[in-house]
Amino acid sequence: METIKLQQKARGERPQYLDAEVEKVLSITMALAGEVAVMRERIDSIERLLEKAAVITREDVGNYVPTAKEHAEREAWREGFLDVVLRVVTQEKEALEEMARGMESYDEAVKRVESAD
Amino acid sequence: MERSLTSQQSHAVFPQPTAEEASRQDFVRSLKLHLANKVSTANKLAFEVRAGRDYMAQTGKAATTYQEIRDAMKHEPYFTFWSAMQRNSQEMMWKACQLPVERQLPSLIDSARNSEGAGGTLELNPELETPRYHKAVDIHCMPGGYHTEFADDDVANGAVYDRAVYLYAMGRMGECNSDIGDTTIAYLKEHFPALKPTRILDLGCTVGHSTLPYADAYPEAELHAIDVGAPVLRYAHARAESMGKKVHFRQENAEDMSCYEDESFDLIVSHILVHETSHKAMRNIMRECRRLLKPGGVVIHAETPPYRDLPAYDAFMLDWDTRNNNEPYWGASHEIEPAAIAEETGFDPAKAFEGYQPSAFEAAEAKRARVFQGGDFGGGGAWYVWGAVKD
Repeated sequence: METIKLQQKARGERPQYLDAEVEKVLSITMALAGEVAVMRERIDSIERLLEKAAVITREDVGNYVPTAKEHAEREAWREGFLDVVLRVVTQEKEALEEMARGMESYDEAVKRVESAD
Repeated sequence: MERSLTSQQSHAVFPQPTAEEASRQDFVRSLKLHLANKVSTANKLAFEVRAGRDYMAQTGKAATTYQEIRDAMKHEPYFTFWSAMQRNSQEMMWKACQLPVERQLPSLIDSARNSEGAGGTLELNPELETPRYHKAVDIHCMPGGYHTEFADDDVANGAVYDRAVYLYAMGRMGECNSDIGDTTIAYLKEHFPALKPTRILDLGCTVGHSTLPYADAYPEAELHAIDVGAPVLRYAHARAESMGKKVHFRQENAEDMSCYEDESFDLIVSHILVHETSHKAMRNIMRECRRLLKPGGVVIHAETPPYRDLPAYDAFMLDWDTRNNNEPYWGASHEIEPAAIAEETGFDPAKAFEGYQPSAFEAAEAKRARVFQGGDFGGGGAWYVWGAVKD
């Protein structure tokens, strides 16, 4: 049966936040991170199946339905995975927190500017 | 090779994902949660320690309105990088939802063709012109919007939307994505306890997420629902039949509902419809609601809070969608004043109302941070409702 292709690009101009090249690299990196997570869950299915049976088929892996507990374990894994992959983003957040500790509060800064007017 | 989901309720036309497709969707959901809980929260810090201070240094005044905060944040690197990731998460979400739909579209179309069970109806109008505000850009970046058809009797974008809403809300609208309908009903029962509607109309119903709760809340009422998109309506009809809820769906534009007689409804509702229309369309819709309502009838719209009720920073974050998520009327729709629009459209302004209703979805997951963080459209844990009562 012929596959019906859905429209891939949303109509409307895509906003650009970063340099065009960086923007593309970010998109590719995030898509790859997603595929790593997909692959890791496939391995997780294989491991869990192998704990119960000596021989498994590709179909067994494709059919694998995690239990609620396993689902929660995978969710926790993804959270940890994102912490690792997006480490550099968290690092900037920590730098901002450091900056905040060394300066007067924002409200005080506002007050100062307003009183100087 | 199909995998049933425990978290979103399945039905006859639900696009069942394979194990891998489910993993891909789960990743998007995790990414959205990560961005909302761990990344977006520090945008405010970036404003306070860097962007806001730079703005003060340059202009000699503090950024106090949401527009000024937007100017101040325009080149703030933490914010722009978050924005880029947030936009990506949105695009990844559509892709992850399209893949299982593309794989099984012919069988989904077949299921929809053969749907029956609850006695509801579906009336399509191929002559109906798709409004300009839906043709110009694809709302919230869903490729093809609500109306584009990719096959005969297509249901594709209904199926894509059904699953994507669940991921977008990060599961926090319940297993049937019904939180906005449930919450609006809770408001109605509390504020209009005497209202016993015999005919209800839902505007811009898409796949019926918010429509179906009315079947249970007002079982004596005849339930009607309209939308401009044929694919979402076919899907809505099949979904409702499969879930045993009787609804009469029609393809109509809420700006011109001449298919319905004057004073033929007691209750007209809409859920996150307003921001997907336009300034002019919203006024046409209110005039039509006034015509369709019986005396004493109620029109109510559920949305996210108007900017005037939010601290400027929260309004700025909520406004992100206007320019970044293909929601052109989002910003202006959040400036609507119920009494003013009621007066403009023939209602008694004294009979206009607005209020907040806590989100009806009470699962543990709904315990979200009470902060707007972009991409978290029910972020305050409550929905804003407004409307008017006809004299």
